[in-house]
Amino acid sequence: MVDSRGKSSGFPAWGATATSILNGCIGDCLTDRVRGLAIDMAFYGRGKRLTSTADSLRAEWGVPTGKLCVLLDDLCCHEGFWNYPDDPARSYGSALRDDLGYTPLFLGDNTGLSIPYSGKSLDMLLEELLLACPEPVDEIILVGHSMGGLVIRGACHYGAERDAPWVRLVSRAFYLGTPHEGAMLEKVAHLMTSVLRAVPHPVAALVGDVAGRRSQGVKDLRDGTTVQAADFSDAVPWLASAQHYLIAGTVTEDPEHLAARLFGDGLVHPPRAGDNVRLFPGLGHMDLAHDEAVYGQIRTWCAST
Amino acid sequence: MELETVRQIRGAKELVEEAVDAAAARISEVQRVMTRKPYAVLALVTPIAVPLRAIEEAHLHIVDGVYFAIRLGNRLAGLMAGYALDRLEARARGKPAR
Repeated sequence: MVDSRGKSSGFPAWGATATSILNGCIGDCLTDRVRGLAIDMAFYGRGKRLTSTADSLRAEWGVPTGKLCVLLDDLCCHEGFWNYPDDPARSYGSALRDDLGYTPLFLGDNTGLSIPYSGKSLDMLLEELLLACPEPVDEIILVGHSMGGLVIRGACHYGAERDAPWVRLVSRAFYLGTPHEGAMLEKVAHLMTSVLRAVPHPVAALVGDVAGRRSQGVKDLRDGTTVQAADFSDAVPWLASAQHYLIAGTVTEDPEHLAARLFGDGLVHPPRAGDNVRLFPGLGHMDLAHDEAVYGQIRTWCAST
Repeated sequence: MELETVRQIRGAKELVEEAVDAAAARISEVQRVMTRKPYAVLALVTPIAVPLRAIEEAHLHIVDGVYFAIRLGNRLAGLMAGYALDRLEARARGKPAR
């Protein structure tokens, strides 16, 4: 497993980034055939992998708080992507710990696996964490960047379905640039792959086949899939016991600009306006994970009753 | 070298090996299809159809041979790298290499 920024494993930092990208692109294949590079889902705190035992968690947190903040990163990213580029020691997790007393937990996982599978795994991991926590947990907030937001919704669905104790503790969920209605880029990729496969030329078919090998996680982004169709055929409801907040960006300062309308934040279109929706014009998709204005909004919502 | 690092390098080695093997197999198929196309056109000329078939077969054997050599070389390189990684892993575990 590659830990945050690859510091303690002896694996170089670019290695952690390359492994995360590889997992995002062909992660399901890695899990099936090349175990050595597949990232196992686990929580991270201060750059170290956390094992779900009370002693390990106490050693990591020192004096733990009863408020947990779980952060899920995007496709092809690792937990180091939450760090501010100009201040690597700061992230939404560390800021929420300093300002509001939340204990941050960064989830690292194989983002190429299907989103429903990751949601189920997160459901189980949160249950294990809750059992292992050295102090009683009063509140959990979830912060998901892009694909991470879909995994949150999947985990909440599966957790609520079996009445998992952790679900009752979730007070707020934040979705940063999450493609709830599907990602345009993957829709285009799906169309291109279908066209290439339909062209009666062996080279076109070969390119189509290679493109078709992209991970299930990427393919799930097309429709914003959060649970398996076999598990739930209707639109997946949002966890009723929690508040949900949507944060989005646009590529231009003017959200009405044609480029913003066409490309959204570069990868995902912003959601429709609403009470718990906040748009940050001029903020690109990746910037949503480490921007002071976005953090300010999250803190304001967290502090509100 | 740490065990985890060896595991990751082994994973990268397996990935490269799998990728080269799969790519060679798939590209070989494509090249076979494309190689046959001009021969199919030329075969319409009846007087040269018989010798042409022999040339086509020889051409296809060469194509197959090249890709077989690539896949074999890839597997041999993978075996050697695997052997080197076994030794590194044994050293990382503090055991003498076999």
